[in-house]
Amino acid sequence: MLLAQVLLNGVLLGGLYALMAMGLALVWGVLNIVNLAHGAFIMLGAYVTYFLFTKAHLDPFLALPFTALVLFCLGYGLQRGLLNLVIRSPMFNTLLITFGLEVVLTFLAQTAFSADFRTINPDYAGANFELAGLTVPQVQLAAFVVATGLSIGLWAFLLRSRPGRSIRAVSQNLLAAQLQGIEPRRIYALTFGLGTALAGVAGGLYGTVSQINPYIGASLTAKSFVIAIIGGLDNPLGVIVGGIFLGTAELLTALYIGPTYTEVASFGILVLVLLVKPTGLLGRTT
Amino acid sequence: MTSPARIVLIALVGVPLLVAVPWIGTPVVVQFGINMLLMATLAQGWNIIGGYTGYSSFGNSVFFGLGAYGVGIAMAQFDQPFWAGLGLGLLLAVGFALVIGLPVLRLKGHYFAIATLGLAEVVTAIVSNIPIAGQNVGLVLPLLKSDVLFYELALGLLLLSTLVVFWLSRSRFGLGLIAIRENEEAAAAMGVCTTRYKILAFMLSAALTSLAGGINAYYITFIDPAGAFDITLNVKMIIMAVFGGPGTVLGPVAGALLLSLVSEILSSKVTNIAGFFFGAVIIAAVVLMPRGLSDLIRQFRGTGWRYFLQNIRDHRL
Repeated sequence: MLLAQVLLNGVLLGGLYALMAMGLALVWGVLNIVNLAHGAFIMLGAYVTYFLFTKAHLDPFLALPFTALVLFCLGYGLQRGLLNLVIRSPMFNTLLITFGLEVVLTFLAQTAFSADFRTINPDYAGANFELAGLTVPQVQLAAFVVATGLSIGLWAFLLRSRPGRSIRAVSQNLLAAQLQGIEPRRIYALTFGLGTALAGVAGGLYGTVSQINPYIGASLTAKSFVIAIIGGLDNPLGVIVGGIFLGTAELLTALYIGPTYTEVASFGILVLVLLVKPTGLLGRTT
Repeated sequence: MTSPARIVLIALVGVPLLVAVPWIGTPVVVQFGINMLLMATLAQGWNIIGGYTGYSSFGNSVFFGLGAYGVGIAMAQFDQPFWAGLGLGLLLAVGFALVIGLPVLRLKGHYFAIATLGLAEVVTAIVSNIPIAGQNVGLVLPLLKSDVLFYELALGLLLLSTLVVFWLSRSRFGLGLIAIRENEEAAAAMGVCTTRYKILAFMLSAALTSLAGGINAYYITFIDPAGAFDITLNVKMIIMAVFGGPGTVLGPVAGALLLSLVSEILSSKVTNIAGFFFGAVIIAAVVLMPRGLSDLIRQFRGTGWRYFLQNIRDHRL
């Protein structure tokens, strides 16, 4: 029974993990930028949701669209005004510039919001219900539903809609896409904006299930990395599998081996996946 | 910048000056010097695998940490002298580079970077569970209050690292590494044994980095997993090397000197904004001078201020 409960918690946690990693995987796959500031955007999203909740008394789940909009504008602007300037630099440089962004954003957050721990704490925060003898925490379940819904939505968007197809076209062959009349500057900015918007939503949900402060970014970036690698960069559904895989693996390690070994497990899995199948568990081998 | 005559000139003027610092400067300058020299050594160590070979390791902090724990375990647990500890750390780091390098150096680009980052996390977590390494609590080393000794040790190590890189820039081995960086398949086709070269470069990088870790551990007299295997150290050494100019002999040293100086001055004058400025410098440097200080110095006389605009024009979408 304990095992079943841990597995359930792992799957619910995994949904949130998947949403965290989705933006990173999208930006990485399309723009070939490993965005080290991704966790900082998650952190900012958490704060936006937090202030919408405390100052405007908006339910955190209803605040998510606004959070997404704010973060989308931020990401769109950054890609348009800054990252597009270095997009053709060697890989190191895009890595470095996003690291610089992470430092700057963390500093700004620390100045504006102070280093205090905060939680988004609606009155239904601790609520749960029983299902077949298992305890299902409601907030985690809702976060899981939002996360999977957004993943499927993103998948459909990339496959069916016109801007989604433009994004895939640009990622497959930039020159050919330009020859078809696609303006890459706008598509790149759109992609990065989508990535940060997803990070923002993930941040809002993260704030309702866990504590936030300005420094959570770096470790969340690392987690997102692991999930993106396990799931592969090809499609958003792989990221869901990666998230659930990591969530359950972490909780199972904490249960059977010890809570201090969760990092060993998650990064050990990362290294193994990289060595055995670098395109991700569900990735195509080219 | 890499022309031998100029390097000899810089060395003849610079080295005696650097050696004399503890007798001219104040204790604060010496302490800053120790940190700066060790950071420069780390940047130079990274330069071998990242700058010359083109494999962006995010796992060099592991070598730093293993060097520190070599000294820590030998001195705190077995009452051995410092030198024995350095040797133990060196052995651990080089051995680790060999064992890990075999599978990991098969990966390329982002994948290599992330696999090494993952390894860094794994090793941190493993070490914080090993009793002989003091688990989470860490180890306390015997105190040796001699900043002059540590300064000269750090300086000696930096000189050694720079000499190694200087040798790389002129030797058959180093040219092989550059060939791997530029085009690995072509290098293999020209008869470079890429696997052996890459692993040797990784081990060389590990050796220098672990010595810096060992000196630092004895200097600060305390090590714990979070401090010794600090992941941000990876990012710092990469920034310093890339800021100065990766794949050059003096670039990483100049980058480390300049950035350490900037962040030191800022954190003493305006504590709060130092972090912000560090990030802003990195962003500006990537946009305006993506090939590092050494390229800026080489090109600036010819092109002047247009150098910065040209860089933006070359790399924007």
